[in-house]
Amino acid sequence: MADAGSIDLRLAMNAISDVIVNRPRPIRKIDQIYMKAGDMVLQSELVARWADGKRLAFIGDGDAISVCIAYLKQRNIIGYGPSKICVFDFDERICRAVERFADKERLETLESRLYNCLDPFPSNGKFDLFYTNPPWGASNDGESVKVFAQRGMEATGYTGEGMLVIADDPELAWPQTVLSAVQRFGLDNGYFTQKMMSRLHTYHLDDAPELRSCNLVLRAVPGNGSRAGKSQAIDDSNRLTNFYGRENPPRVKYVREKKRLDYGNALEEEYDLELIGSTNG
Amino acid sequence: MDDRLNPGGGVLFIKVGTHAQETLEKIIERKTKEIEQAGYSLWGYGGNTCHPETMVQPFAKGYERLGQTVRVLMQPMVSSHFAEPVRADEFSIDGLKWNAIPAAINVLGSRFALAIKGLRKAELELPLDQTVVAIGNSKGRRGDKYIMGRVDKACLEVAGPAPVPNDPAVEGTVAQIGLVAELVEPYAVYVRNKTA
Repeated sequence: MADAGSIDLRLAMNAISDVIVNRPRPIRKIDQIYMKAGDMVLQSELVARWADGKRLAFIGDGDAISVCIAYLKQRNIIGYGPSKICVFDFDERICRAVERFADKERLETLESRLYNCLDPFPSNGKFDLFYTNPPWGASNDGESVKVFAQRGMEATGYTGEGMLVIADDPELAWPQTVLSAVQRFGLDNGYFTQKMMSRLHTYHLDDAPELRSCNLVLRAVPGNGSRAGKSQAIDDSNRLTNFYGRENPPRVKYVREKKRLDYGNALEEEYDLELIGSTNG
Repeated sequence: MDDRLNPGGGVLFIKVGTHAQETLEKIIERKTKEIEQAGYSLWGYGGNTCHPETMVQPFAKGYERLGQTVRVLMQPMVSSHFAEPVRADEFSIDGLKWNAIPAAINVLGSRFALAIKGLRKAELELPLDQTVVAIGNSKGRRGDKYIMGRVDKACLEVAGPAPVPNDPAVEGTVAQIGLVAELVEPYAVYVRNKTA
């Protein structure tokens, strides 16, 4: 079993490869943008170490970092990880992919729940930590990040810590505005910035190939749990108008999966088989 | 519409060449006829740097509210785009409601299309270092720092001759424009083929 800093990179990469093959294809218009594989390995190890022995809520997880850390631990590639992981996502394809993988690999610490972050959070205070890689808020000064962070704070009962993965680029104004706004939001809710790991991750993002993200770790001040209350729906148009980009508010309640028997195989609509000796062509 | 670039103006810059096995000259000829017959044309393209719904539509609507139109500036280039020349038969503004593409308009081998009129040849220069990306995750990045590598199109705002606060300019930042058009409603759409 490996300790931090002594991971078998080949085994880790192959494990992440298993997870990537299991992921649904991203839908760009709802800001599903996937992290690149090498960065996923490093991020998964880091998150597993940070959340060792804790109950961890993922507020959205298209990247499948949740699956990676459960799988790396199950395979003894790392010797640490959360005691429980729950993925809350409004994309049924993602939730079902998590469940299928957990079932196939017997990942008993991993589960998912279909949930839209505009609805009241269903599991207040049941987690120690939260993790989110939300829409980055380029057009709304970080308001979309705050929505996901709020749900993470509710998941942890306004205690513990949260890791936010958001844009970090010193050449552009908007990521700095967002970083500032999110840290201010943290302070307003009884959290301080415990750590920021700059410019760590790259993405399959063809409209901003150079853009990276950081890990921003917020920690609740002692006694902050007294803030916890009943979770409310979010319907303030000021927060939602530019949620997925300028003039792109949320319109989708859930992304529903079209059920298939041959999940994981090439779609039959993609190809025809021309047989040896056939007279076609 | 004249060819002056005014500070604050909106430009959709795109490199164009052979597309879906059809030469640029043939494409221009075909698109010009389409505009004559249908009043507008759909210019096919791909890639998320000018995503119809999250980029082009809000970008153009912003200028519409100012009483301005977005100019499409095309830079001809040598390319070999071997996508299958499959004709799209439906278009959608929002990816949910789909309509038939008029018979006079042919979009081949593309996922997205710009709605344009006033297509004409031109010879003008676009100093990319005097533009900035106007929308999306690269908003604020200087045009010449953005249009490189695989990034070959962008929604840009003309920033004027004043230096833009990014890295120093590099050589080769002036794009030679060979075609201009006007972006018209619905500005950009998804296209798909239901029959092939």
